[in-house]
Amino acid sequence: MNINTKFICNIFAIVLVFTAITFANDNLQSAQNSKKYTDECIKCHSENDMMPEHFSENDIHLQNGLSCAGCHGGLSTSADEEIAMSKKNGFVGVPTKKEIPNFCGKCHSDISKMQVFQARISTDQVSQYYISKHGMQLKIGNKDVATCIDCHTSHSILPASDTRSTVYAANIPNTCNNCHGNSDLMNKYNLKSNQVEEYSKGVHGIALLEKHDNSAPACNDCHGNHGAAPPGVKSISHICGSCHVNNMNFFNNSNMAEPFAGLEIKACEQCHGNHLIAKPSDEMLNVKTSTTCTECHDKGEDGYIASEMFYEKLTQLSELYDSTKAMSEKIAIIGMNNIEIEYELKNVKQALIQSRTLVHTFDTSKVVGRTNEGVLASLNALKLADHEIEEHDNRRIGYGISTLILILLAGALYLKIKGLNT
Amino acid sequence: MGTNRRKFLNSLLGIGGIGALSAIIYPIMSYLVPPKIAEVKVNSLKVGPVSDFANINSKIVKFGRTPVILLKDNQGNFKALSATCTHLDCIVQFDNEQQQILCACHGGRYDLTGKNVSGPPPKPLKEFNVNIIDNEIRITSQEA
Repeated sequence: MNINTKFICNIFAIVLVFTAITFANDNLQSAQNSKKYTDECIKCHSENDMMPEHFSENDIHLQNGLSCAGCHGGLSTSADEEIAMSKKNGFVGVPTKKEIPNFCGKCHSDISKMQVFQARISTDQVSQYYISKHGMQLKIGNKDVATCIDCHTSHSILPASDTRSTVYAANIPNTCNNCHGNSDLMNKYNLKSNQVEEYSKGVHGIALLEKHDNSAPACNDCHGNHGAAPPGVKSISHICGSCHVNNMNFFNNSNMAEPFAGLEIKACEQCHGNHLIAKPSDEMLNVKTSTTCTECHDKGEDGYIASEMFYEKLTQLSELYDSTKAMSEKIAIIGMNNIEIEYELKNVKQALIQSRTLVHTFDTSKVVGRTNEGVLASLNALKLADHEIEEHDNRRIGYGISTLILILLAGALYLKIKGLNT
Repeated sequence: MGTNRRKFLNSLLGIGGIGALSAIIYPIMSYLVPPKIAEVKVNSLKVGPVSDFANINSKIVKFGRTPVILLKDNQGNFKALSATCTHLDCIVQFDNEQQQILCACHGGRYDLTGKNVSGPPPKPLKEFNVNIIDNEIRITSQEA
């Protein structure tokens, strides 16, 4: 046997062994699946490689003992296809898109069935769905809209608390984007398809998707989930106000609330946007560079003057806060105690934050009053800082003098010893 | 012999002089360029006698650099929580009427266990241990 023949034989042997192992493994997997499931539907579908797409063993229904027949009907104990999938045995097969909500609602709208799994579970998902834009469109036969399975999947449903779930807080934007990011589909309904793109650049999207802060709102927190609908003029401040409580209360009690409602201007959205909500800054109030206020208020009007004053006061306090903070850091670097200065700084920061929130009252006296308190706290912190610097300088001078005395003493001692020796 | 002795003594004096000079220069240098050592961490704080809370049910105390809110519930039990709101670091306060902790900046609310229940705070308030030793309230860090 020459070298080439030997080499080919070796390769052939390796391929043969590998194929045998793979085949044995597949058979073993299949045998394991058959053994693992007592359910004849899964046994048969898995043996014939006819399992539904994206089927997951972690599916919440399967994990809770609900198998194929629980939704699709039929007799799961029979290995005979004709018997197992007969209408006589309640087999309903795959529901049409229009049937899906009620198909899931067979259990999810029945409190007696659902209470078995969770005591305080809600069962209004289907009724909410039918008053949503999706549900209303489905009712009239629109097959483009999302039903239960478009958000939750059909055979790999996981609880919302599971990070792998399509409805886990951080995954919701992507789930919604599956349809709402499809420009061809959205164009049919004159809807934008860049909401998630905008959202992910906004303050909420950055908090949820980049900083992994699950308390930040995803799509469903503002639009609802099962009863999803775009917020109207009247509801928008309440939606934002569910988290931004003070801002909502200040705005609703301000003299701007009525004109906004009268002109059908969306309260928060008018100034802050909707999906692409940028981090608010004092610059929004700068009449020279921003149109937040000047879009409606011309020069000389009360709103224009108020905006100028808000900007001036807030930037003054903000700059004072920065310089005081820098001074506090300097105190720490030179090794002096800045704890009291830091506490005063907290008061300055608090005054700054509250003043910014008070802008939503559109009341100059309230904003000016709070910023002035912040200025006083900042001046107090700077006074404390000056005291620490003075103390540091005094210590340094004292230490220098005492060192000089010690050196002179040491020198004199040296000369004295030298004198004694000679 | 005399020269050798003098040389030896001068060397001894020289070494002693260098040692003395180092002992002076080293602290001066350490003073001028302070080492970057971490500040001593406060792990425990004596707040005062229980009787101080006869007429009040909340007080904000300075636990090192951390403001801490000490609360007394209706049963007379004490609870200490970080007084820094987890949203934007404002100082929280006790809302006696609602029996909740309130952050006045954005209206965030926490229950008396420190759990964030309403508004923008993303996390609960950090908890501190409260011990009463010889009728005196002591707060200790849970990390201690």
